[in-house]
Order: sequence, then C-alpha cells, then structure tokens
Amino acid sequence: MKIKKIMGMIIVLLLFLGAGYFLLRRPYQEYSLNLFYMDTYIQIKFDTKKSRDDVKKIKEEVTKIYQDYHELANRYTEYGQNVYYLIHNTSEEEVITVDPKLYELLSYGEMAYQESNGLLDINMGCVIDKWKYYRERKEGIPTDEELESCNSVNRLVLLGENQVLNNHPNIDLGAIAKGYATEKVKEYFESVGITSYIINAGGNVVVGTPQHKDYYQVGIEDPNDGSVFKVLKVTNQAVVTSGGYERFYEYEGHKYHHIIDPNTNYPSEYMKSVTIITDDSALADQLSTTLFLMSIEEGKAYIERYPNVEVIWYSNDDEIIMTEGVKKYE
Amino acid sequence: MEIKKLTRLSMLLALSVILGLLENMIPFFSGIIPGLKLGLANIVVLFVLYTFSSKDAFFLSILRVILMGLISTGLFSIRFFLSLGGAFLSFVVMALSKKYTKLSVIGTSVLGSIAHSVGQILVAILLIKQGLMIYYLPWLLFFSIPTGIVVGYMSKYFIDYFEKRLKINF
Amino acid sequence: MNKQDGILIFILIILSLFGMAFFYLSEKDGPKKAVVYYEDQVVLEIDLTQKEEKTYQVEGFNGTVTIESKDGKVKVVSENSPLHLCSKQGYISSSYETIVCLPNKIVVAIEANDSLDAVAK
Repeated sequence: MKIKKIMGMIIVLLLFLGAGYFLLRRPYQEYSLNLFYMDTYIQIKFDTKKSRDDVKKIKEEVTKIYQDYHELANRYTEYGQNVYYLIHNTSEEEVITVDPKLYELLSYGEMAYQESNGLLDINMGCVIDKWKYYRERKEGIPTDEELESCNSVNRLVLLGENQVLNNHPNIDLGAIAKGYATEKVKEYFESVGITSYIINAGGNVVVGTPQHKDYYQVGIEDPNDGSVFKVLKVTNQAVVTSGGYERFYEYEGHKYHHIIDPNTNYPSEYMKSVTIITDDSALADQLSTTLFLMSIEEGKAYIERYPNVEVIWYSNDDEIIMTEGVKKYE
Repeated sequence: MEIKKLTRLSMLLALSVILGLLENMIPFFSGIIPGLKLGLANIVVLFVLYTFSSKDAFFLSILRVILMGLISTGLFSIRFFLSLGGAFLSFVVMALSKKYTKLSVIGTSVLGSIAHSVGQILVAILLIKQGLMIYYLPWLLFFSIPTGIVVGYMSKYFIDYFEKRLKINF
Repeated sequence: MNKQDGILIFILIILSLFGMAFFYLSEKDGPKKAVVYYEDQVVLEIDLTQKEEKTYQVEGFNGTVTIESKDGKVKVVSENSPLHLCSKQGYISSSYETIVCLPNKIVVAIEANDSLDAVAK
C-alpha cells in the first residue's frame, strides 16, 4: 500500500514538472509606456529581448526625455530657466544662460523660421495666447488692437554659448517641441539597440522597424468625420498631420482653430489638413505646420527642396492631393 | 484483487496499448484534422466500464496513457498531456453517461469520443495559453460522431459476446 | 442503438453543423492578415494582400518555424516536432482555419487586416 502511495506521488510530481517545463520560457517581449507631457498623451510600444532591469532603465530614460522637454518648453509653469522664465522673469540681468537642450531647441526654432521664410515662428506666443483666451471661452475673436499689441513684443535673440538676450520674448514652441522630443527618444532607442518601436505622441506617429511584421500600419484621420481616409504602410518614418479640426471653436458660423498664420495673425485656412511622411520626426513636425500655413500650390513648390519628404494634403474641397512618393507607402 | 481479475485487466490493458499503437500507424485520420483519431483503445475502456467497474476503467484508461507515453509518444511530451486530458475527460463523461442516462454503449461511446476531443483541446489551450484552437471544435465534434458510433458498435459486440454468448461473468 | 442514442447523435450533428456554420459565417470580407502566435503573444503578422511569395521565420519552443505566404494564403513549411502535423497541414486562407503547431506552441490564424498601429491626426 505504501509503495502505491509513493508511486502515485512520484507520478503526480513528474506530471507537474513536465507541464511546468512546457509552460516556461517566452522568447518575445513587448513593452509599452504611456505618458502625458506637453499637453499630449504619448503612447510608446517597443519590443526587445533585454532584461527586466534594462527595460526599466529604458522606460525611465524615455520618460525623462519627454519630461525634460515638457519642462524646458513650458510657457505656463516655471521649471528653472525654461521658456516661462524667459517670458516672465524679473531679473535685471542682460543675458540668460539656459540649459543647452533648450538652447538647441530654440536654435532649431530659429532655423525653422529661416527655412519657412518666416511662416513657422516661435515668437508667436502673444498672438497664440490672445486666440487661446477666446478659444477657451468658445466665443468672440481677438480685436485688431489686441492683436496689434503683440507687435511690440521682442523677438528672441540667440547669443551663442547657450546665452539668450533677456528681452522677454514670448516664445511658443508648440509647433516643434513634440516632434523634437520624439526625435530625441527615437535617437535614444536606436542608441540602445531597440529598432522595433512605435511612438504616438497625440497623433504625431513615429515608427521603427516592427519586429514581427513587415511594416506598421498608420492611418490618417479624415478631418471631416474623424474616420481614417488613408492607411500608410511605413517603417522608420514619422507621420505627422497638422490640421485645424482638432482644436477649434465656432463663432458666428465661422470655425477658428489653433494654428495661427503670422502674416495675418488669424488661423490659416488654406486646407483642412496636411500630413508629412519623412524619417525625421522633428522635421515632420516642423514641415507639417509650415505647409499648413501656405497654399497647397506653394507647398508643392516649397517641398521640392526637401528630399525624402512626402506630403498628403486634404484640401478645403475634400480633395486629397499627394506627392508622387506617397505611393510607396500604400 | 483476485488473481483472475488482475490477469484479465492486465491483458486488457496490454490490448488497449496495442490498439493505440496500431491506430498510430494509420495516418489517414490526423490528415483531416490534427488530433483526430478513431479511438480503438476506447473499445477496451468501454468494455471494462460495462463489464468490470468504473474504477477499473479509470485506472486502465490512465495507465494506458502512461504506457503509451513510455512506448510511443514520450512521457510528459505534449501529446502525452493531450492524451491524458482526453482520456480523463472521456472517462468521466462515459462513467456519468453509464450511471445516469439511458444511453446504450453506442451513445456512451459517442459521448466519450467527443469528450476525448474536448479534453485534448482544453489541455492544448491550457498548455499554450491560446484559445484559437476552439476553431477545431466543431470539426472534431463532427468527426467524433461516426468514430464514436463505430467504436460503440464494436464495444457492444464484444460486451455481448463475452457476457451472453460465452456467459463469462467478470 | 436505442432511441436515446439516436436523439443524442441527432443533437450532436446539429450542434457541430451550427458550430461550423457559425465560424463560416463569421468570416468577413476584406483584407486579411495571418497572425502567428507564440502562446498568446503575437510574434509575426503577415499581410495577405501581397501576392508574391515570402518566407518568414519565428522562434518556436523546439526551434525555428518557417512560414511561407503566397497569393493570400499561408502555410508552415518546416518546423521541429515529432509528427510534423502543422507543416503537413498545407495552406490556409480563411479566418475559420488555423494551423496549430502544439509542440512549438505556435498558432497561425487568419484575421481581418483592419487594425491600425496608430492614427496620425
């Protein structure tokens, strides 16, 4: 009888061991990270075979990159000598030395200003605030006097060596900071050997090479009804859309959105949306705003100086106009 | 346990193993759907269930899987666990069917055949944590019916033959 | 076979036919993809709208599993297992078909290719 019991126990034990061995080991791992910075939900997914500790470090580092740029580019809260500080400081000093990362970002903004012939201007903070005030009330529009009062605001002056003239420029980095920070995250991923990743920073999408399929499928939202009007098959690209349909308000039968044309100080109305596909997320962010601020015809000519940049315009007449190269992503 | 009964059960166990091995040599069935089998060994299980007792049938059924594991499928391999799951559920269903329903050996055999399929799928789902195999279920169910009937008729023949014709009382 | 047996068999046939019909009818038109699972994790997605022949490799429990897609169909070409059931199964192309490589813990299923990884807006 005793032998029987022992035999039984051994068999049960072996059963568990056998099943346990089979249930062991998983060769693939997908990780995700959800953040909220720069007024945006940022969803990140990546695949790696790295250890748990490494993944934890990577997540912390990515969080830190977004947090840093969130703080540096913030114009409503003070975090050290950030954009808020540049605008509102009461210091008597003539120059302010800023974090090299912020200086680099501001320089990038200046460069984008030059490249866009003044269309993409990071000195628009004052005008943007005026519009924001009415947008949040969902009523009225800024008066001409209000908008003209912004003309007296100083422009940013970069002095080199991380120094900025303390002339209280009203900086708004909203058009470039997200794409810029995302590009930094992408560079970081690549530096640690992660190639399979997808970052969705509030509709600014950046993808690497997926580990388990041929490409990522990125849809582009239809400005009219929020559906998807086009699906792109992309690897190692940024897909960024600018449009007036996400943040806007209606007043006296007219829609006013958040992307302001510096020439008129009014929201631009050349198109419903424009989408940029290129491998550099900062460039994609920059160009999507730039192209949104010029007519489709001008945009077609303008974009020719940029190789490997593809564009999809969604015109006011609901026409979809694409550059030749978009085909390769269809 | 009586020596006579022990000997008979041992021979039946050996027979069930041989039937199982024979069946593995017919590649036809697994070609249609992975995991599909005629279930010849179930003849012995049914025979023991109806002529001996459910306890004996249970041990025979489980020992058969372990022996098959040693001889053919490999002990603690996936197929071993699948067979174990199938055999266990099949036995439970058949024992319940015999005790609580008015079904004949054939009905019980069909139920056992289906339970064998379901048991295998359940174990498979458990082992690879993947529910997609449920797609096999209607097919296995469908093909289990004819195999169950065939096995049921053969079992009935043997049970009748030994009980009535030979008047052997086990 | 008695009356109860007959009723039972009848019910079971109906049930299995219903099951099959359900899976057949749940098949949706439109672009499809083959999804390869290792346990419950997606390890490979193959766009089945592409016509040309392509081979992929995934890591199974017993080693490499080679999968081939062509003309909207997908099959397991080679894998390491005792019976090679899943590489013998051949091509599948409908959502009610699956290839199960149990010893490798790999399941190939056909799903609608309508999920997006992200939406740019």
